[in-house]
Amino acid sequence: MKNLIQDTLGQIKKEHIAPEPRWKFLVRKFGAWAVLGVILLLGAAAIAIIYYLISQLDWEVPSFMHQSTFVYGLSVFPYIWVVLIGLVIVAAFFGVRKTETGYRYNSVRIATVAIGVVVVAGIALAASNFGGKMNNALVDEFPAYGHMVTTKQSQWSQPQNGLLSGTIEKVQGNSISLQDFQGKKWEVQIDSKTFIAPVVSIQPGEVIKLVGTDMGKSIFQVQEIRPWGGMGMGNGGGGNGGTMMNGDSSTVNGNRNNPADSTINSSPMRGSGGGMMGR
Amino acid sequence: MDEKKALTDGELIELSKKDPEMFGLLMERYQGPLFHYIRRITQLPADDVQDLLQEVFIKIYQKLNEYDVALKFSSWAYRIAHNHVVDYFRKVSARQQTNALEDYEWEKIIQAGIQIEKDIMNKDCVAKVKACIQELPINYREVLILRFVEEKDYEEIMDILRKPKGSVATLIARGKEMLAKKMKDKNINCF
Repeated sequence: MKNLIQDTLGQIKKEHIAPEPRWKFLVRKFGAWAVLGVILLLGAAAIAIIYYLISQLDWEVPSFMHQSTFVYGLSVFPYIWVVLIGLVIVAAFFGVRKTETGYRYNSVRIATVAIGVVVVAGIALAASNFGGKMNNALVDEFPAYGHMVTTKQSQWSQPQNGLLSGTIEKVQGNSISLQDFQGKKWEVQIDSKTFIAPVVSIQPGEVIKLVGTDMGKSIFQVQEIRPWGGMGMGNGGGGNGGTMMNGDSSTVNGNRNNPADSTINSSPMRGSGGGMMGR
Repeated sequence: MDEKKALTDGELIELSKKDPEMFGLLMERYQGPLFHYIRRITQLPADDVQDLLQEVFIKIYQKLNEYDVALKFSSWAYRIAHNHVVDYFRKVSARQQTNALEDYEWEKIIQAGIQIEKDIMNKDCVAKVKACIQELPINYREVLILRFVEEKDYEEIMDILRKPKGSVATLIARGKEMLAKKMKDKNINCF
C-alpha cells in the first residue's frame, strides 16, 4: 500500500495545487439564486399580465352574445400565461433543489413559497400596471401573441357575432362612416329603434362600440351604440336614459340636456389598465 | 503535534488553507472511513480505491473554501467522494469488481433488507444474498451501505447525497424491497 497522505501532499506541492478562491464559489452560489429570482419574476409578470387581460375585458359581451359569463370566461381565459406560471413553479422548484442547501427543504414548502412569492410579487406588479405595459409591448413586438390573447378590442371586433367598434369618421343622415380597429371602413345604419347610450356623442373622431347585425358588404345595422368605455349609462348606471335615434342631425348627443355627457372618458387604444391595447 | 491533533475539523480546514501540511492531519482523520466507503460502493481492488481516494483528497483540498460550516465535515467529504465515484463510473463503463465487502458488512445489509435477527443467519445464506446485493443498482446499493454499514443517520445521508429526506427514505425502502424481490426470484430462502 502506498503512503496516501505523503503522496497526496507531494502532488499538491509538486503541481502547486491551491484551494480555489472563495469568490468563485460565491459567484456560483449567488448566481443560482439570481437565476431563481429571475424565474420567479417571470412568474410574477405572468400573474400581472393575467390580471390585466382579465380586468380590461368587457364582461357585458357575453350577454350580447347570449352566453353565460362562466362559459365565456373559460373561452377567453389567458391559458398561455397560466401554463407559463406552471412552468415557472416547476423551474423554481428544481432551481431551489439545485442550490447548495436546497435538498434540505420539504417539497411542499418549496412549492408553497414559490407560489407565494410569485403571487405576492405578481400583485405588486399588477398594482403598478406592469402587466398592461408588458402585454402591450408583447402585442406590439409579437403580432402572433396578439392573436393568442383576447383583448377588449378583439371582443368588440366580431361583426359576425354582432359586435363592432371603431372610430367615427363621418355622420350623414342615418348613416355613420366608421373605421374599425383593423382599418376596415363600415357603413353603420341607424334606425328609429337604435338605442344610443346617454353619454355617447356621435361625431367624427369619437370611438364607439356597437351591437347589431352584419348585413354584408361592410354594412352594419346597429341596434345599440355605446361609448368605448363602459356601458355609457351616465351617473344613473343602468337606467333607460338612452336616446332613440329619430332625426337626421349630423351630431347626436346621447343626452342633449347634459353637455358633459358627450365626453367619452376612455381612449379607444387604452384599456382599463391604461396601457396600449392591440390585437 | 498532539495539540494539532486536538484541533477541530473546522480549525484544521482554516489552517490547511495556509499550510498544506495541516491538510495531512485532516487526511489522517478521514482516510480510513473514506477508503472503506469508496471500497464498499465501488467494489474495486484496494489499489484502485487508493487512487480514487487520492483524487478525492485533492478535490477536497481544492474546494476547502467552499466548505459550509453548517455541515459536518465528514458529510461534506463523503459527498465529494460520492460525486467523484459517480463521475468515475460515468467515465469507466467496464470495471473490475471484487467481492469488496467483508462478511460482517454484508450481514448488516442482509439484516436490514430482510429484517431478520443476526443470530439466525448462516454463512451459506450470506454468500447467496451477497450476489443479490451486488446486482442492485449503485444508487440503491450505496444508500443501503451508508445506512446499514456506515451507520449514517438520515440527515447525514441527505447531506452526502444532496437528496431530500423523503428521497433518501424512498431509496432505502426500494433498495430493501428490490433485495427481497431478488432473493424471492432466486428462491433464496435459507433462514
